[in-house]
Amino acid sequence: MKKQSFKRRTFIKTSTFAGAGLALGFTFVPLVNSATGGRVSVSGEKGAELGLWIRIAPDGTITLIAPSSEMGQGVNTSLSMILAEELEADWQSIKTETAPVNSDYKNPEQPMQLTGGSTSIKGFWEPLREVGAAAREMLITAAAQKWGVSVGACKAQSGYIIHQKSSRKLGYGELVEAAGKLDVPSDPTLKAPEEYSLVGKPVPRLDLPDKINGTAKFGIDVRLPGMLFATVRQSPVFEGTVLSHDETAAKSIRGVTAVVSIPNGIAVVANNTWRAKKGMEALNPQFQDGLTKGLDCQKVRKQFRKALDNEGKVELDSPKVLDLEYEVPYLAHATLEPMNCTASVTDNFCEVWAPTQNQEMSLDVTKEITGLDEDQIRIHTTLLGGGFGRRIEIDYVTQAVTISKNLGKPVQVTWMREEDMQHDFYRPASMSRFQISLGKNGLPEKWKNQLAAPSILKRYFAPLGWFGFDPTSTEGAKELPYAIPDFDFDFSMVDPGVPVGFWRSVGSSHNAFYIESAIDEASHLAQHNPFEYRRKLLAEKPRYLNVLEKVAQDAKWGRRLQKGHGLGIAIHKSFGSIVGAVIEISSNTSGRLELHNVWISVDCGKVVNPDIVRAQMEGGFIFGLSAAVGEEITLKAGRVEQSNFHDYSVLRMKSTPDISVSIIESGEDIGGVGEPSVPLAAPALANAIFSATGKRCRSLPFNKHGVKFV
Amino acid sequence: MQTLEINGKKYQIDVEAEMPLLWVLRDDLGLTGTKFGCGIGECGACTVHINGQAARSCSFPVAAAVGTKITTIEGLSHHNKHPVQQAWLEEQVPQCGYCQSGQIMATAALLAKNPKPTAEEVEDNITNLCRCGTYVRVRRGISRSAELMRKQRV
Ligand code: FES
Ligand code: FES
Repeated sequence: MKKQSFKRRTFIKTSTFAGAGLALGFTFVPLVNSATGGRVSVSGEKGAELGLWIRIAPDGTITLIAPSSEMGQGVNTSLSMILAEELEADWQSIKTETAPVNSDYKNPEQPMQLTGGSTSIKGFWEPLREVGAAAREMLITAAAQKWGVSVGACKAQSGYIIHQKSSRKLGYGELVEAAGKLDVPSDPTLKAPEEYSLVGKPVPRLDLPDKINGTAKFGIDVRLPGMLFATVRQSPVFEGTVLSHDETAAKSIRGVTAVVSIPNGIAVVANNTWRAKKGMEALNPQFQDGLTKGLDCQKVRKQFRKALDNEGKVELDSPKVLDLEYEVPYLAHATLEPMNCTASVTDNFCEVWAPTQNQEMSLDVTKEITGLDEDQIRIHTTLLGGGFGRRIEIDYVTQAVTISKNLGKPVQVTWMREEDMQHDFYRPASMSRFQISLGKNGLPEKWKNQLAAPSILKRYFAPLGWFGFDPTSTEGAKELPYAIPDFDFDFSMVDPGVPVGFWRSVGSSHNAFYIESAIDEASHLAQHNPFEYRRKLLAEKPRYLNVLEKVAQDAKWGRRLQKGHGLGIAIHKSFGSIVGAVIEISSNTSGRLELHNVWISVDCGKVVNPDIVRAQMEGGFIFGLSAAVGEEITLKAGRVEQSNFHDYSVLRMKSTPDISVSIIESGEDIGGVGEPSVPLAAPALANAIFSATGKRCRSLPFNKHGVKFV
Repeated sequence: MQTLEINGKKYQIDVEAEMPLLWVLRDDLGLTGTKFGCGIGECGACTVHINGQAARSCSFPVAAAVGTKITTIEGLSHHNKHPVQQAWLEEQVPQCGYCQSGQIMATAALLAKNPKPTAEEVEDNITNLCRCGTYVRVRRGISRSAELMRKQRV
């Protein structure tokens, strides 16, 4: 049997690649590469597979092998802009392909090759600029040598090298062959920010033309010859097992070809997804046992309370004290594209098409299931119909590979929405207590905050559980920007057994609600204006102050409000970016709340594409607002009660306020933009509700706890 | 055997009468631009036009589609020329893009019968879910679409 394989060979200077003429490629080497003495070294391998960053084809097309998953955050565009800026490429000639699994593509900010934590720009800003600059210098040298002129007499511009004196010019495509023979400059000169012509501009996204005509290919759109369609059912009580099922009934459904066991569940395979679903209904699998047997929300709450009671309370010696208890529920990611994955496993080769944020673990699990070597496996990352952290998990990959291996045929697994809702890795529920005493000036003197929450990371790294340590649970609460003389924070790790995962903005998604509500309560107790109160507490933090003052100014904080209207403010730093938000709401005569306007200001350090930053601020805030207004996953008898969008209420356009965004370019370290606006929505809204109605909401979501929205 | 007319083309199919049109489009005919989001008519990702009216194809049995003119996102225009598509690009509406076929089809159908909808009519008619939170831009995209359509008419 012929063994197919894709061998990795790096640091080959140039070569022709399959039928497309000459290519020039680079691989980023994190350590100094002794062969070239620089951080960048040339490679000319066979296209995208092998650790290349860019390809310049003889027709001038430039392809960035994008190292991040495109899940809506616009990363392919912003990364291309960084590259094109240094390369002086013609923007129209830029294309992107998503990178294969290869350690060269690992984000330096991440422990493995995955997309998450709002780190793509931060991680790839340096390497992509260096790659672009090195390529530019090589193209200039190639042209100068051709013309017999000095390098200094030539310049790169919009995909051409130009000899100014003689007005001669050569396109990049015409130069790749010669450029590929040159050494890579070890220390290419980067452009000064004043010279930027792309970075900092609201360049239209590269991926949108395909996203408005149905041609964009998501994971669920993969179609292979002879492919089968499967759907799964997993134990509704987490980690239970299949007790019984009716295979004969399933196979009597037209088109159903197989029933396959998967971890904690069962799959039905057919020649059409709907028939697989029909087959699953006929199969009617019954389950038994499981980790969360008998669990409900009351019991979860009891576990949190018990942990916090064990921590105990402090004596507060002040006439003005707050003693508060806050809580949030589990939340689903509910990416609009349900979990799915396509795999084709044969005896000696496996291909996987996955809408995944986690290439590395997708590869690892595929190796494990198939027993194949790395060079017999290819993981293709498709477009993702939303990620939000859900697709850092790889359960859907495990299933597709398992089923395809079992059948020896290409199979696409698609989860029904009900399955997606009930087998998520949820945003952890948690509870937080505050004991705050105010000094004579009304500012907090003592701040004791106790958080009880599950750990996300201990599933990845068990020892964290032994030590009760998880930075993703405590981020946003453990350290505050506010000047508080006596600050104390405790974390109690509680594990009710419900699977939890990274949900867009992770720990900040609950901690910002707790902290920014509590500080608001303190300001009201002190009879201070909530904006001025924060301002005083942030006096020593100029970056925070700028953001806070900007958003207050945009919202015209302090103006006379119409009757029934209220403003709520909040500020929070996450993923390296500081975001401030103000929301204006009103309560109508029947007591329903309407959300009118939102103002957001953000300091994310540097800005590559301001329109993408805006879009992420808007989308993130709406994601947070949706959760604050109406999302809640509840448990009964160990199972999730919600099953689809009729009972898991997601915000629609009708309820969405207008949003305006101000970007503050502080020039500080690059921060993320995909997540940092999410945490602001819940506290800003809670504070606005208090301002409009006098009602303080200490648990989410608001619509399930006595507040009605229009 | 049934015959479906989709995007001006005739397709012969042989499926269960109750199979939702969505799955015929996606799994049998390879027209994957129409998306699956919920299967119960809640999200609108599967919106197509049936005789010019917006319909959620996940809840539309194929038998009822026989004899109608079906338009999917693939057949809305050539080269993204439809005013709604142009407005969507101008306003840079999509993020992940998964809901956008449905948003665009719903908007195109609304504006075809009501070229100047009020803000309220827009919000009552375009109830498609977007998990990425593009609503602010969808709203702008709809008013821009209406503007472009009016311009085309004069
Ligand atoms: S898939 Fe049809 S409305 Fe959601
Ligand atoms: S753009 Fe992602 S769901 Fe709407």
